Amino acid sequence: MILEMNNIQKSFKDLKVLRDISIHVDKGEVVSIIGPSGSGKSTLLRCATFLETIDAGEILYMDRAAAKTNEEGKAEYVSHAELQQFKQYFGLVFQQFNLFPHYSVLKNVMDAPVYVLKHSREEAEAQALELLDKMNLKDKAGAYPSQLSGGQQQRVAIARALAMNPDILFFDEPTSALDPELTGEVLKVIRQLADEKMTMVVVTHEMPFARAVSDRVIFMDKGVIVEQGDPEKVFGDPDHERTKQFLRNYQQ
Amino acid sequence: MTFQTMLASMSAGMLRSLAIFFLTLIFSLPLGMAVMYLRRSKYKVISGITKIYIAIMRGTPLMLQLLMWYFGPFYLFRWSIRGYRFPAIIIGFSMNYAAYFAEIYRSGYEAIPVGQFEAAEVLGYSRSQTFFKIILPQLVKTILPSITNEIITLVKDTSLAFTLAYNEMFSIAKQIASSQTSFVPFIIAGVFYFVMNYVVAFVMERAEKALAYY
Amino acid sequence: MKKIAALLSVFVLCLAMLSGCVTIETGSQTGGNAGSEVKEEPAYLFLDETLGVESYAIGFRIGDDELAETVSGALKALVLDGTYAKIGASYPDIEEYLCLTADGIDADSLPEKGSGDPDYTFKHGFDLDYPPYSYLQDDGSVGGLDVELCQAVCDYLGWGYEAVPFNWDAKDMELNAGSCDCIWSGFTKEGREDDYTWGITYSNNTQGILVAADSGIKTLEDLSGKVVGVQTATSAYDMLQDARADLAGTFADLKVYETYTIAYNDLKAGAIDAIAIDMTAGTFLISNDQK
Repeated sequence: MILEMNNIQKSFKDLKVLRDISIHVDKGEVVSIIGPSGSGKSTLLRCATFLETIDAGEILYMDRAAAKTNEEGKAEYVSHAELQQFKQYFGLVFQQFNLFPHYSVLKNVMDAPVYVLKHSREEAEAQALELLDKMNLKDKAGAYPSQLSGGQQQRVAIARALAMNPDILFFDEPTSALDPELTGEVLKVIRQLADEKMTMVVVTHEMPFARAVSDRVIFMDKGVIVEQGDPEKVFGDPDHERTKQFLRNYQQ
Repeated sequence: MTFQTMLASMSAGMLRSLAIFFLTLIFSLPLGMAVMYLRRSKYKVISGITKIYIAIMRGTPLMLQLLMWYFGPFYLFRWSIRGYRFPAIIIGFSMNYAAYFAEIYRSGYEAIPVGQFEAAEVLGYSRSQTFFKIILPQLVKTILPSITNEIITLVKDTSLAFTLAYNEMFSIAKQIASSQTSFVPFIIAGVFYFVMNYVVAFVMERAEKALAYY
Repeated sequence: MKKIAALLSVFVLCLAMLSGCVTIETGSQTGGNAGSEVKEEPAYLFLDETLGVESYAIGFRIGDDELAETVSGALKALVLDGTYAKIGASYPDIEEYLCLTADGIDADSLPEKGSGDPDYTFKHGFDLDYPPYSYLQDDGSVGGLDVELCQAVCDYLGWGYEAVPFNWDAKDMELNAGSCDCIWSGFTKEGREDDYTWGITYSNNTQGILVAADSGIKTLEDLSGKVVGVQTATSAYDMLQDARADLAGTFADLKVYETYTIAYNDLKAGAIDAIAIDMTAGTFLISNDQK
């Protein structure tokens, strides 16, 4: 088991965003999370990547607990130093790319491997160029993010995440900030990664993509998982009325 | 008094003005960063006190602050202030400019998209790596024009050191002008400030250009 | 650890603000024996030896001879009618330096009372920070010996009076630009004889050395190796630069101040050993301090 999140609870002030959510992701699995906005799917990703702290529940990577509920029912995290190690298990691709604007494309991809993983500069550069090649961006290695299109920037962001050799890769609505004609190139890359058996969790609004690429689909609404399962089942013949309604709204 | 004599007696003052200028920058630029972090502290007491500090430093004349830094230890604790004149000037200037720089840094800091911090955090950068590699370079770029303004003000503010009987360039100009009933020292002073600020503007413009690559 | 560092730095900031609450006192009692019944020795005094004597006169623009004549004449008339002495009496610290007497004043040559143009306003230029000649009084109004004398002169002639407090450094520009008609503010004539049309010399002053009574400094020679303070653009400063440069050469350092107030605070704080200052301004500082 790569990721296990059990009984996660999270509130912002009085607003309960996640109500007792549990998910698990196996090695090589591609999981899509769909749901209306405000359903808590992005918050779930942010909790999984420690950008938000959970109120209660437990988070495990590779069967190691990063956070678990103590006797008082509150979530307790491991030390900051240990948490830093946990971060090597995962990578996150943001909706807004969040590339470092003052670094060239190459440096964006190779900087963290050099300064966080302490890889040698040559090794990191070779790996970065290889990843950029895979993203079809080798000729952009010397460019700065502001000189790239949104689709290209997102592909650099994916390369940056992959350069850390994560065991699992999270995508937080990776195409939502892109013009429609640019989503295809990003989805193609994610599909390619799925073919290579990369473990991934994708929060997305691209229903046909989710249906085609996922091993499992999770439908979330109002902070709970309404239903999950095989994509053909969830999209084709959902059990719950809320799921049906959501998918209907989407098709219009 | 010949022009050369005037220039010679004023040049000692110019060195003193430059000393204030550079020492103030050396201390206040980093200090401002510390003040900004205190100002942004999540502990209300700390950020509140820092806010009051900034309000006082920006809300009262620098001249008064210099007096208080110098005479404060004597009137508060009856400490001897012999030989404390120059340190007091540097402390006064640095604490004052740190408050201004802190607010400039804060505006720049808050203009950096939160995604930059998050991307760095997820990639596993340490706090100091995040600050020095990701945040600071972007911060510098946005705040450079405001910093230039502040530095130019500092050049001219050095004349306030005369409040504490520190004979910087402008006080000497005034003394010569008074004893010689001459306007020339003021012209020399004007040229000095102008050249100083021209150099500052030139250097800062170069820096801005150097950072304009992205 | 980080919290401690933050608290510590905040403590430093607090200290900084606390010291901001300290006002620079000029009115506090100094000396350790306050409150005792014993008659107190003055904490600060002048050395018996002085630096020299100077005369205070009224400076007019070069060429304004007629105006200088009229104002000087009116002032002489005030000497004759006793106003000069009466005003002087309200400044006990400097009364003894007022040098005009009725002797030798020819009453017939003076302007008549009320003979001036009633529409004319005489603009009195002065430094607002030069007590007791011209300064901001306790009640916040502009006052001082020179201000009162000038007002009396205008009253006598029937002129309007306008106070023009200026930055001392800009006095020549103010005068030449016509924003004031005279410089009358404990204005020393010596060394500036040719730069202005001079009116009457109405006061003398002596430049002296002010020291702490317990400093052990008794003579000018004792000043050797000491730190002496002086205000910029004053006669004392000019003297130490020119006539008494030999003496200034023996000092460890000559600190030049923007105002004597700061120099006096430095003397009280022990940061300097002596102040070169004219007797009247110095006496004023001391007596004001003991109020």
